[in-house]
Amino acid sequence: MSQRSDVYRTSLLGLLSPAIVLSIWETAGLLGWVNPILLPRPSQIVWTLVELVANGAVFPPLLYTVALFVVGYVIASILGVTIGVAMATSETLYGVLEPLVEILRPIPKSALVPVLFLFLGIGKATMITVVALAAVFPVLISTFQGVRGLDPVLLDTARTFQTSRMRTIVSIVLPASLPMILAGMRVALGLGLVLVILAEMLAGEDGVGFRILDLQRAFQIRDMFAWIFVLVALGGGLMMLFDLVERRLVPWRGKT
Amino acid sequence: MGERLGFDHVTKIFETPGSDTGFVAFDDITLEAASSEFLAIVGPSGCGKSTLLKMAAGLMPPTKGKILLDGKPIFDPPPGVVYLFQQYAKSLFAWRTVIDNVMFPLEGAPRHQRGDLREMCRDYLKQVGLDGFEDSYPWQLSGGMQQRVAIARALAADPQVLLLDEPFSAVDALTRMELQTLVLQLWERRKFTAILVTHDVEEAIFLADRVAVLGAKPTALKEIIEVGLPRPRDQLTTREDPRFLKLRHHLTSLLLARNSGHVAAV
Repeated sequence: MSQRSDVYRTSLLGLLSPAIVLSIWETAGLLGWVNPILLPRPSQIVWTLVELVANGAVFPPLLYTVALFVVGYVIASILGVTIGVAMATSETLYGVLEPLVEILRPIPKSALVPVLFLFLGIGKATMITVVALAAVFPVLISTFQGVRGLDPVLLDTARTFQTSRMRTIVSIVLPASLPMILAGMRVALGLGLVLVILAEMLAGEDGVGFRILDLQRAFQIRDMFAWIFVLVALGGGLMMLFDLVERRLVPWRGKT
Repeated sequence: MGERLGFDHVTKIFETPGSDTGFVAFDDITLEAASSEFLAIVGPSGCGKSTLLKMAAGLMPPTKGKILLDGKPIFDPPPGVVYLFQQYAKSLFAWRTVIDNVMFPLEGAPRHQRGDLREMCRDYLKQVGLDGFEDSYPWQLSGGMQQRVAIARALAADPQVLLLDEPFSAVDALTRMELQTLVLQLWERRKFTAILVTHDVEEAIFLADRVAVLGAKPTALKEIIEVGLPRPRDQLTTREDPRFLKLRHHLTSLLLARNSGHVAAV
């Protein structure tokens, strides 16, 4: 009980710092410290945002971005977990794949966006690939580390019950590494989101990133900021959803 | 009846970097637990008792010699040989409920038998005193209860041989006595062969028919002692039996003699 109220208190305290920043921003606008055309006040932006939501204009680009992101993210998660487990459980696959992974991993994935445009053209396939490329490595690396770090007692237990290799992987290795897999997926969530927005800005046809750049070029600054707020809400919402799912999937975390 | 499990001239050498000979953990150990016997192996911490048991379970191959199950050499963990780990928390599956942990060894069975098997697992949980906890998760239970879950899971695997790797060393003294009594009851009922490794001399005498004492490095068999105390054994009367005390004196002095060299060196 007291633990729960602690959680609430911490999250309330967490609202404090954004509130302070917003107040300073608002005050700066009111007192004319900044150019109101380049930096509208938060209250004005929120009003534009409310309009966007009320007339429904926010939804098509938002859904477009979310759909691209989710498809790329799911592909990355499946690939990352599969390759991660394969590399951790097979010395041969580790030998074959490890150099490739180590070469590709440090490349900032944003640098690959122009290359992908060359091969895949401008469109959804490129966006999804960009997200998947950005998100796959954190998932892969932490899955690999999670599986390699499993306690030998757990695997010995499986062996003494004559558990087949496949069943050991599916019913022991995967669930036991789930906390690590999810840690990687959390990092991948942020990276994937950054990359989908960036790719939309560079050569999108629609979506939140495309809108933000489009409005900036049209000098509709207040609308541009409203879309940036949409982006903030999207990121925050996805993280909260992730926390929720994680708590359901690994209730034993920190308790064993 | 439980199966015989034995070490036949078993030597274990661990390769160590920078050494041609390696580290000799065991040298030529020959020892067999008879069918349905309770055999205890005692030795000071760090003498490699767990290694011995891991070899017996087929989890680790000996460098020389053989592990014999009813006279036949084993290479992989054979069915019917169940291992009870000291680190019960790591051996249980945190993502499964208690009953699903116990069900694990039986999940290879055909689907239509699952219902009956589940009932059987409920019964095992009852036998270890955990009825009512079927749907809890292991991490919600105390250490002693977690080891009970592991014991119920071992029963579900229909053990012919139960290997006990200091299974009670991580729980408090009172819980340890309860678990010892529980294992003895189950052993008397199920008649499996039991091999216990422990550094606790009293535990070894209390539980076992024979106690094997491991000696100095490289570890070899020093002595095998017949316990001969009457069964069923009782935590109070057995431990107060003059024969118990005499055995304890003898075994303890054996183990201390091994260590006295170290003490003198300090």
